[in-house]
Amino acid sequence: MDLDLEKQIERTIYRAALALDTQQWNDWFALCDEKFEYAITSFSPEINKDMIYFSGDKKELKGLMDMLPKHNTDHSPLHRHTSVYTIDVAKNGETATAVSSVIVYQNMLDGQNSHLDSGESRLFVIGHYHDKFIIKDGMAKFAHREAKLDNRRLDKGSHWPI
Amino acid sequence: MSKSSSQFVDSRIFSDPEIFEDELEYIFKQVWVPVCHESEVAQPYDFRTTSIARENILVVRAHDNKVNAFLNVCPHRGMLIERRPQGSFLEGQPSGNPKRITCMFHAWQFDMRGNCVYVAREKEGYQDRFSKNDAGLRRLRCEVKYGGFVWVNLNDQPQISLEEWVGDALEDMSVSIEHSPLEVFHYHKAVLGRNYKENHDDLIKFRQNITNKLKINDGLSEGSSNSRLRHLGFGHVISGMLRRQHQGEEVSRLYGELLDWAHTTQLPLRSDKLDEQLQRISAMMKSEIKEIIKANAPDQEKVRESETTHNLSFPNMKRGEWLIVDLFPGFHFTIHGSALSVMTVTPLAPDEVMLEVRGLGLKGDTEGIRSKRISDHNEVWSPLNIGLPAWQRDSDLEEQGNDEQYFRQYYNEWGRIMDRLPSNVDEKFLAPPTDVATTPPSKKRIFERPGLHVVVIGASHAGINVADKMRKNGFDGNITILDRQSGGPMERPPLSKAFLLESDQKSNSNYLLKQKKWYRTNDIRLRTKTSVEKINLETKKLILNDGEQIQFDKLVIASGAVPRTLPIAEGIGNVFVLRQPSDAISIRKQASAAKKIIIIGGGYIGLEVAASLRKKGLDIDVVEVADRILARVASAPAANFLADLHTSHGVSLLTGKGVDEIIEQNGVFAGVKLSDGTALSGDMLLIGIGVLPDSKLAYEAGLDTLMDDGGAILVDENMYTSHPDVLAVGDVALLRGQKATVESVHNAQETSAVAAATLTKATPPMIQAPWFWSDQYDTKLQSVGIVPVGDERVYQISRPGKREGGISFWSYRENDLVAVEVFSDPATYMEAKQCLDTGRSPDPNLIGDSSFSPISH
Ligand SMILES: Cc1cc2nc3c(=O)[nH]c(=O)nc-3n(C[C@H](O)[C@H](O)[C@H](O)COP(=O)(O)OP(=O)(O)OC[C@H]3O[C@@H](n4cnc5c(N)ncnc54)[C@H](O)[C@@H]3O)c2cc1C
Ligand code: FES
Repeated sequence: MDLDLEKQIERTIYRAALALDTQQWNDWFALCDEKFEYAITSFSPEINKDMIYFSGDKKELKGLMDMLPKHNTDHSPLHRHTSVYTIDVAKNGETATAVSSVIVYQNMLDGQNSHLDSGESRLFVIGHYHDKFIIKDGMAKFAHREAKLDNRRLDKGSHWPI
Repeated sequence: MSKSSSQFVDSRIFSDPEIFEDELEYIFKQVWVPVCHESEVAQPYDFRTTSIARENILVVRAHDNKVNAFLNVCPHRGMLIERRPQGSFLEGQPSGNPKRITCMFHAWQFDMRGNCVYVAREKEGYQDRFSKNDAGLRRLRCEVKYGGFVWVNLNDQPQISLEEWVGDALEDMSVSIEHSPLEVFHYHKAVLGRNYKENHDDLIKFRQNITNKLKINDGLSEGSSNSRLRHLGFGHVISGMLRRQHQGEEVSRLYGELLDWAHTTQLPLRSDKLDEQLQRISAMMKSEIKEIIKANAPDQEKVRESETTHNLSFPNMKRGEWLIVDLFPGFHFTIHGSALSVMTVTPLAPDEVMLEVRGLGLKGDTEGIRSKRISDHNEVWSPLNIGLPAWQRDSDLEEQGNDEQYFRQYYNEWGRIMDRLPSNVDEKFLAPPTDVATTPPSKKRIFERPGLHVVVIGASHAGINVADKMRKNGFDGNITILDRQSGGPMERPPLSKAFLLESDQKSNSNYLLKQKKWYRTNDIRLRTKTSVEKINLETKKLILNDGEQIQFDKLVIASGAVPRTLPIAEGIGNVFVLRQPSDAISIRKQASAAKKIIIIGGGYIGLEVAASLRKKGLDIDVVEVADRILARVASAPAANFLADLHTSHGVSLLTGKGVDEIIEQNGVFAGVKLSDGTALSGDMLLIGIGVLPDSKLAYEAGLDTLMDDGGAILVDENMYTSHPDVLAVGDVALLRGQKATVESVHNAQETSAVAAATLTKATPPMIQAPWFWSDQYDTKLQSVGIVPVGDERVYQISRPGKREGGISFWSYRENDLVAVEVFSDPATYMEAKQCLDTGRSPDPNLIGDSSFSPISH
């Protein structure tokens, strides 16, 4: 087992979290392979089904992120707390999968009454990242990420990748 | 809050806790709420929990597949029974058995119909004071309709049926959502810190934003057949765009192309880019748009790949078309792209609302198709609308100038129900002074419109036509029609004709006066099996058979007539009269077993029944006391013509003879004894000796009638009775100064059209000469004008028909034409009608010559 590779994958996951937290979309894209695909899914206990909230590839995501400055958005930043649980590198060393837990807090800025609301942090979503990596020349890049959400308090500020 | 609505809405309606509580009571506890979709309880014993206005609800699918709804509250001590959002009762709970709903507190158990089937320690604990049979779950009104949604109404006796309430609004969508079974693929909820009405306003703005960006006229002004917007009753709005070939084709085609292009290129549609995109496409239009679309699609591979799914839409919709139905107070059905998206609201507090969003596709979707629907749904409704302006973010929405109508419509409905003026909640909703809504607020008020409440007694030719004409004249108050009969009101004339020849199993819907849909579309409340027992003119209330009282502002009596009976025939089996559909059904049934019928009365009804049943092979005797048939209503030559017709078909006509006795065997009709001593035997008897106006209610209420104790209700030329708020029409009414009522469909139609004009202050209809028709065997009689019988000065001239077998009898009083009876010669009938409608009298010396034209001289 290539411990270095595992460390590198772990670090890539954490870097992605930081890039997403700071909304440095290009830093995030830099960690992703050209074929990167991204999906946000959730299981609904109400209808007893897996659901897809979003799915798109790197190009699409890039286009969407470029649009962001043009919209009025909720400004409350999101903060991800990630713990990498498992990393499995394929025998041929070309791919790997990883499962991490993720908790996202929303640090309130905008609000119905920002005088009162701003500064409060509240739980936004919890879930898991199911990641797939492509390993080329010893470098692991995201090939696929599924953010599987467990809770669905998604009323505001939910227009950023998780 | 939206500027458009704030222009005329008092801000307290978004924040006042008292108003909020009233909204739960008067709105949410009274309307039909789509609580979930049947696919969420797909299997027997599946359940789902939900709530309306803080009442917890349990929806279950019973073993017989029926979906039932109950309060999720145990009748024992009122504890909440089921806490999971969904699941199945197929497996038992720790404290209960399989296939049972079990309350975990003291283990009472209920079946899927809500019956209590187990009470712990029933005998020991309660002895005989209590039995589980007495304690069931509180069952709620629940219907699965309109694409399989489960609709619940917390009011056990809803003021209005689900169909009446949403039928019209969801009708256009029905062809799509009822095409094949649907399935929920997406569900999410969000709790927003705002009033539910503000959320509604934003949704409307979002919709408009897109529409206006596309420069699509919303149908608010004329000339836009491509887009549609209709305000329906009850505050519902339907809008959308269906691609049409004619007007507006350009824009709708563009929109379609634009969407197609966006899908081909995998580019999401962005409302802020629409202008730009549209302009680009317009520019491309002239030069081969398709080519450029292709050139713009960056990834040809993907285009081919998505070829199969990129044109995917919902059944009976084309790609690019969309339809939105916005049901008051905030249930939103959208078909856009290939998905049905439904949003419902549950208000939690004045400043808090829970939204639930469901995405639906077809049950039989393949994986590829399903994922296309999911992505179409997500385009607008995903909770994670990454990079796109989500509808939750109202700051993205632009104020539009012309959307005021939407808000007005919505807030007016709100005001009406709440009985508060939306612009100043301290004031009552503004309705005309005579409005029934000035009575103290009651839950019943909910579905009433402002304006007058017109109540009609009698749902037949006259009563239905009053309502029809009033709506056509633009009346927008409330109309209620009451009738003691059951079933949809039917035409009377066929009852003695074609209807008798149909087999018993045949559906009678061909003969309905109006199809069900008409009542909905025109917002006319029909209450059948409802008999008015008393009219109180002082309080302007009607008292019904079950004691209920109905307030009216204007009353129209269209109670028609009832057949005369023979006291000597009372209580004997197989004796019939014919007036109502139920009479005709009984006659039809008996006739299929009988061999011979005796008909007392040689009037139109008797003769028509004779002709119909003769066709069925029965032997027939017609007994008439006068010395000829149709003595009161037809001229002698016309009557003779018909007499010959009947005789030639083997009917025996016995004129100049009365009936002295009815012969019965074991209480069943067996024959009659005539005044000349002749005895006739038969298996059934029809009494067709005329009708009496059904005016009992009227004279008991003190209205003027022809006689002190009854007879027709006297009316003036506007159809007003002797009371300024009561009108009468049809068979029951008689114009003051005239001698006899006219019992015909034409008279029913004309008098009711006059009454409708009176009530709506519209121009009264042109009065035509009375007309009438009758079908006997294959001969059609059409008559126009009233044949004055017993007038010495009146004489008839016969005129050969234009076709073989055709003949007409022209009645003159001196040189004036007064009536024409035409047999099997419609062209001559039209000429005769024209003469009488325009007061023309063709020369009686020439009319007998068929080469003489009555209208060109
Ligand atoms: C078998 C038959 C054949 C006919 N054929 C022809 C024809 O060929 N051509 C033609 O022109 N005319 C024909 N007529 C006559 C024509 O149908 C009538 O003139 C016409 O139906 C009169 O309409 P109306 O609405 O005034 O009264 P009706 O049709 O008598 O209707 C009155 C309604 O009021 C209801 N009602 C009365 N009192 C109350 C109460 N207190 N509470 C609740 N409901 C009440 C009754 O249930 C009834 O449904 C025929 C009639 C019959 C019965
Ligand atoms: S409260 Fe339900 S069994 Fe007692």
